[in-house]
Amino acid sequence: MLVVENTKCECGHQNSVGTVLCESCGKPLLPSEAEGADTPLEMRYDGVARRSQKSNPNVIDRVWNFFSSVKIAIYLIVITFLTSMLGTIYPQENTFVNNFEPAVYYEETYGLPGKIYYMLGLSHTYESWWFIGLLVMIGTSLVICSLDRVLPLYRALSKQQIRKHPQFIHRQKTVYKQTVEGDPEQWAEQFGAQLKRKGYRIHRDGSSLLAEKNRFSRWGPYINHIGLILFLLAILARSLPGFQMDSYITIPDGDTVQISGTNYYVKNEKFIVEFYKDDELPETLKGTARAKLFKTQAVLYECTSNCNDPLKQPELTEVKQHDIIVNDPLKYKGLKLYQFDFDMTPRLNAVHPMLIDKQTGKSYGPFDLPMKDSAPKHELGPFTLELYANFMEFALDSNGKPTTLSRDPVAPAFIFTVKGPGLAAEGEPYMYFPMQKDKVKFAQDVINGALAEKIEIKVEGMENVEFSEASTYLNVRMDRALPYVWIGAVFSMVGLLMGSYWQHRRIWLRIDDGDLSLGAHTNKNWYGMRSDVAGALKKIGITVDPKALDNGGNNA
Amino acid sequence: MGKSRKTVQIVILAAVLIIGGYAIGSTLFASDSGGALKAGSEPPPFTLADLNGGTKALSDYQGKAVVVNFWGTFCPPCVKEMPEFERQYAKWKDQGLVILAINLSEDTLTVNNFVRQFDLNYPILRDVNRKTERSYGLRSYPTTFFIGPDGKIMEITVGGMTEQEIDDRIERLLQL
Repeated sequence: MLVVENTKCECGHQNSVGTVLCESCGKPLLPSEAEGADTPLEMRYDGVARRSQKSNPNVIDRVWNFFSSVKIAIYLIVITFLTSMLGTIYPQENTFVNNFEPAVYYEETYGLPGKIYYMLGLSHTYESWWFIGLLVMIGTSLVICSLDRVLPLYRALSKQQIRKHPQFIHRQKTVYKQTVEGDPEQWAEQFGAQLKRKGYRIHRDGSSLLAEKNRFSRWGPYINHIGLILFLLAILARSLPGFQMDSYITIPDGDTVQISGTNYYVKNEKFIVEFYKDDELPETLKGTARAKLFKTQAVLYECTSNCNDPLKQPELTEVKQHDIIVNDPLKYKGLKLYQFDFDMTPRLNAVHPMLIDKQTGKSYGPFDLPMKDSAPKHELGPFTLELYANFMEFALDSNGKPTTLSRDPVAPAFIFTVKGPGLAAEGEPYMYFPMQKDKVKFAQDVINGALAEKIEIKVEGMENVEFSEASTYLNVRMDRALPYVWIGAVFSMVGLLMGSYWQHRRIWLRIDDGDLSLGAHTNKNWYGMRSDVAGALKKIGITVDPKALDNGGNNA
Repeated sequence: MGKSRKTVQIVILAAVLIIGGYAIGSTLFASDSGGALKAGSEPPPFTLADLNGGTKALSDYQGKAVVVNFWGTFCPPCVKEMPEFERQYAKWKDQGLVILAINLSEDTLTVNNFVRQFDLNYPILRDVNRKTERSYGLRSYPTTFFIGPDGKIMEITVGGMTEQEIDDRIERLLQL
């Protein structure tokens, strides 16, 4: 079925299908509009046809038309709002930090509703395929809706006919009719000069006039849409590898830890926590521990070589040093390290003990004895200590053999083979507990027996003990999409301001045999529109009440 | 103008398909690779030092049945399993079984002293600073990953196993 619609206006202009008002003279074309006698006209998009309106659409056109519909766009936005709400019922999976088993957590914490919530995938609503799908559809709709409207509107506004059809003028919302004496062209010129003083641009065609102001505000919504599209693209770009990271690392004082998935290493020189003193606190809080400062003295390193060679130590180059406090992260090339938490459990790292020869009273050392990966042999004067075994958390197993209960230096112990004057040639075993409590608990002197009478390994003074007082927990974040989100937000704001604080105002007039027809249109603030017209009329000697110009219709 | 409009339509819809398809696709894909490892997941790659001064990578054993066992001297069930794995290794190695026992970031002396007590012929690998352990999302020890010749995890066993349980799993693994 092919129906060729006659879309030619009486002024001779060939309009495209779907045109409401003739693109040239402005005469209403749709039968429904033409019949409506003198009710104000529908001026949306200046009455031009939307790009997508076509008589026989194919598949691509149908898809295009679907997304071109503002009604569909509103449905999509409403559905997105409603489904976003679902994601706020229970905490989302990504808000949990450590060893988190979602399958167990939701059911255990919230019972059956929690289980259903998890099974429906609502525990990661905002990363689900259908939610991202909705965002993609909104983005598509934004692009297509905008494109379908802005291009015809741009064309219509850039080739406006000055002399409009009387019906077009009389059916505006602001109308003024009057008989004028004298030369119509001169009248139009005088009136135009007054409008020009109000900032209108004047176009004249004999006794017809078109005055126009602030057309740019019509582009506001489209600039706003460009901003929103940038915003959406930036959000979607976060799923690209390397665009976003949000992880946590624990670093004991003095340790250097790799940020997994990157080439960066962070060293915690020292973590400091300070609490308010009682005299700094108000009465009600006295005696409570109120933190004044959490600070991590951090150094960021970049690995320059041997990064993935398990046989070699990675070579690190310092790239940044910063004292991380709450809300003052270490920042380097988009990487941000935030203070997140801390743990005040101390950890013994190394001791520097002396070897005392009880027979002579001489002492040798101190020597360096780290809890982990100590040197296998220590030469101390006439003595040699060979490390035979070490244990992080010393204990005896069910067979009475020494063992370790964990890999953290909670109760470290060392077994040395000691050689030296007055000792057996093949060496004698000596057990050493760096911590006093373990020395007593496991009866070091009893274990060592006769050797304990001859030598002693002993730490003298706290300056010979190295330990981490605390561990800091840092939140590692990277968000390369953020600058684009900001750019999008700026565009969006500029567009909003353009569209909200300025209005596109137009005044058409024609004088036929001394009969003045004046119509004016704006997209908002009709009050201002009428006062512009009344003000200009007053300047040329015609006093009219602005309210009298109102031709009815909504949004007056 | 009709022609150019068609082109614009096709270009925009194609862009939507590519960008949107990628975005939606990556959410579907992420639910596979993200989160905890489970049967069917691909095991994270690693390259670690062995006790002979060389390195072993998981990728060295592509197309083979691999048992990756995380162990520590501080974990009695892990210790108990080590000789059992040795017997299983002797039994199945001719059929292409690979056992990689990754130590849980303990120090050199501790590992050497431990290994010396046994006669272990499968490679003992050394994790450093818990890196590999973290990438495998370990929560408790021992944990053993049975990786099929297709490069996918067949089963993850948390906690100690009896020798019979190890045997059953290896048998199934080799039938894949």
